[in-house]
Amino acid sequence: MVRVSFVREEKSICVPEGTTVLEAEIMAGLKPDAPCGGAGRCGKCLVRITEGPSDGNADTSPVRACRTKVTSDLFVDTMIPRNKELSILTEGYLRPVTYHPGLSVHKIQLDKPETGDKRSDWGRMLGQLAKAEPGIQPGIKPDSQPDIRMEEMSGIQPDPALASTLYDRRGKSAVWYAIHTEDEILELRREAGRVCFAAFDIGTTTVVGYLLDAEDGRTLAVESRLNPQTQYGADVIMRANYALEHGTEVLAACIRTAVNEMLKKLAGKAQISTEDIFQVSIVGNTCMHHLFLGISPASLVHAPYTPAISRRMTLRAADYGLNIHPKAQILMLPVIAGYVGADTCACLMAVRPDQKDEMTLLLDIGTNGEMVLGNRKRRVACSTAAGPAFEGAKITCGMRGAAGAVDHVFYENGVWNYSTIGGGPAVGLCGSGLIDLVACLLRAGKIDENGRLESGQEDPQVFVLVAPEDSGNGKGVWLTRKDVGEVQLAKAAIAAGIQLLMEELGVTEEDISEVCIAGAFGSYMNPLSAGEIGMFPCSLTGRVRAIGNAAGEGAKLALISREELEMSDELAYGTDFIELAALPEFQDCFIEHLEFENARQL
Amino acid sequence: MTVLEKLRQSIEAGHPGETEKLVEEALEEQVDSMCIVEEAMMPAMRTMGEKYKNQEADIPHILAAARCIRSGFALIEKQDPAFEERNIGTVIVGTVEGDLHDVGKNLVALMFRSAGFRVIDLGVDISEKQFLKAVRETPDVQIVCISSLLSTALPEMKQVVKTLRRNDPEKKYKIMVGGGAVTRQLAEHMGADAYTENCVEAAEVAKTFIV
Repeated sequence: MVRVSFVREEKSICVPEGTTVLEAEIMAGLKPDAPCGGAGRCGKCLVRITEGPSDGNADTSPVRACRTKVTSDLFVDTMIPRNKELSILTEGYLRPVTYHPGLSVHKIQLDKPETGDKRSDWGRMLGQLAKAEPGIQPGIKPDSQPDIRMEEMSGIQPDPALASTLYDRRGKSAVWYAIHTEDEILELRREAGRVCFAAFDIGTTTVVGYLLDAEDGRTLAVESRLNPQTQYGADVIMRANYALEHGTEVLAACIRTAVNEMLKKLAGKAQISTEDIFQVSIVGNTCMHHLFLGISPASLVHAPYTPAISRRMTLRAADYGLNIHPKAQILMLPVIAGYVGADTCACLMAVRPDQKDEMTLLLDIGTNGEMVLGNRKRRVACSTAAGPAFEGAKITCGMRGAAGAVDHVFYENGVWNYSTIGGGPAVGLCGSGLIDLVACLLRAGKIDENGRLESGQEDPQVFVLVAPEDSGNGKGVWLTRKDVGEVQLAKAAIAAGIQLLMEELGVTEEDISEVCIAGAFGSYMNPLSAGEIGMFPCSLTGRVRAIGNAAGEGAKLALISREELEMSDELAYGTDFIELAALPEFQDCFIEHLEFENARQL
Repeated sequence: MTVLEKLRQSIEAGHPGETEKLVEEALEEQVDSMCIVEEAMMPAMRTMGEKYKNQEADIPHILAAARCIRSGFALIEKQDPAFEERNIGTVIVGTVEGDLHDVGKNLVALMFRSAGFRVIDLGVDISEKQFLKAVRETPDVQIVCISSLLSTALPEMKQVVKTLRRNDPEKKYKIMVGGGAVTRQLAEHMGADAYTENCVEAAEVAKTFIV
């Protein structure tokens, strides 16, 4: 037996002679990165064999751990950056994620070149960077040993402006902080400074932005506001119409200005400079995605409703008018289909139904209702025109989930009760209050299976929940027959979508292990009420999980983990799409679900 | 209450199961198929249309009633082959190119069939050329109905109306437009012969065209 000591991790392990270093790393529980499984092909498992325990940064050439056998006691520098291996983010995420951003900061020591060293400043800098970040191996072909002379040939493109700053300091040994991705150096700094990311979820109605610290991925600030494009139309069709008539530029400029303002506010909150923001990820439905990029939504609103572009993109932020670091990047996540956008892809990233054998149903109920059903084997998405009823629109007393909105309604033994957001007097009904109210009215027998409201009050077509004198606006909060109709249309669209997805996959509601509901509505909503009004099969009530702003979470994941970012392609292209409008059975299915099935039984 | 009255009520209440049962009952009682349609189905739908106008009924109720009529129709057609052959006029319907939505168009088609028209339903996403081809292949066509839910498809609708007009200098057929995206003003601007707010009215206006 011989002893292998890992100097960075301060761990050692006894192994039989002939064991490879990679095997020793695995035995020591170090979780080395070996994508090719130790076949000697990928060159990702590079380590340095050092002479002693303290010599962590010795300038010996790296070797492939999987090809190197242990024959005597060894000291090994795994070159696995310490903080990253251990940093698992759980707070604010639906599942643990290893922090491994695509953009990182590395401290490098650039020494004065020796006489006879023909390498350029840039090349020597890359050589040092490669030592700090094993992911960047300049000039190493898969089957050869690293060659110091090939450092110039790294996949990282040379940047003349940055290279010239290196020359300024040539005289002496200097410390540099390289802010870089796998193929680009965005900045070389003398001081560590701050490095931040920003993630945006651009909804039709609301825009949410997050500022993240690139050091550890924690969220520094959150900012949300109304999408200013709402002045050009409330829904994607109206928005697209405006773009088709007046050009895309107005709408593109409008959302870019908003994103810039939000970036400024986020930076202010976290006390950083906007120039410290190096990467921005953006998700949104396909129309918002296109409008941000300045792409005409024409193809989206004409059958068969295809996106102009769907693949994931890395773009220069400056080209899209974002006033952050001049070389900052924008990551646009892939879109799934014309009406299933990058926001849905981001939700999938947050939930990862592809990791399970059981069926997961993902519902994102906003101005449009997108849903995905599936598991490891297959996932199918569809979009329904659920309409904005659950966001409070089109409902007489409807409102967004803000202070004073009735968020829950209770009906027990003939007594009505309700609660409001913030606890103050009621001013309106938000989505969760609306479905509670309809569910309670069904239970009370005041709405029949066809949605006919007989309130038994002064006006039988109106149910007054909050009398004017008890309300915060002096008018009261009530529900009309027409409101019930809007709820029917919205819930039937969702229920029909779910049914057709189940039919497409050949599964039944018993097969669905979890219903994940994204968005604020999902967090407030009482699943029992949603089941009672028939938004989804009643039997699923106990399997509902609110997942919050999953789209925003997916956007954050794209920044903090390059593996998750790459996974987005798989999730977008590996998810099938069915166009409900093209299914002949949709209409019947939709009409069937218009009924309140539970009205009679309850 | 007679079976036809009950039938009418079941349609207005939107119970397809009951409607089917009552249609079968009526047929067993040797009630004439035309009579079932004209004295129970059409009045029920007319009531729904009025209720919709007065905001007493919403689209869900209209759709539920329409489903009842459709199931009833299917039964009548199965038992009375002569029923299919009644024909007071021929109508072509279709959703315009760029739009896949057919709920409204299907309602209109159903109303026309109830009113005794022969309906040629072209389906959704129908181009100018397809409309033109259908008109040429149907020499006895009296009405062409073009539907659109998406306002983004309005330019296409305008184009179809224009082309059909040009193709028909003798004004052999009438052009009707409708759907969520269309308003009376837009319809007039396009040069359509008629626009109606709802499907019941559409069938009624259409009847006035052929007398």
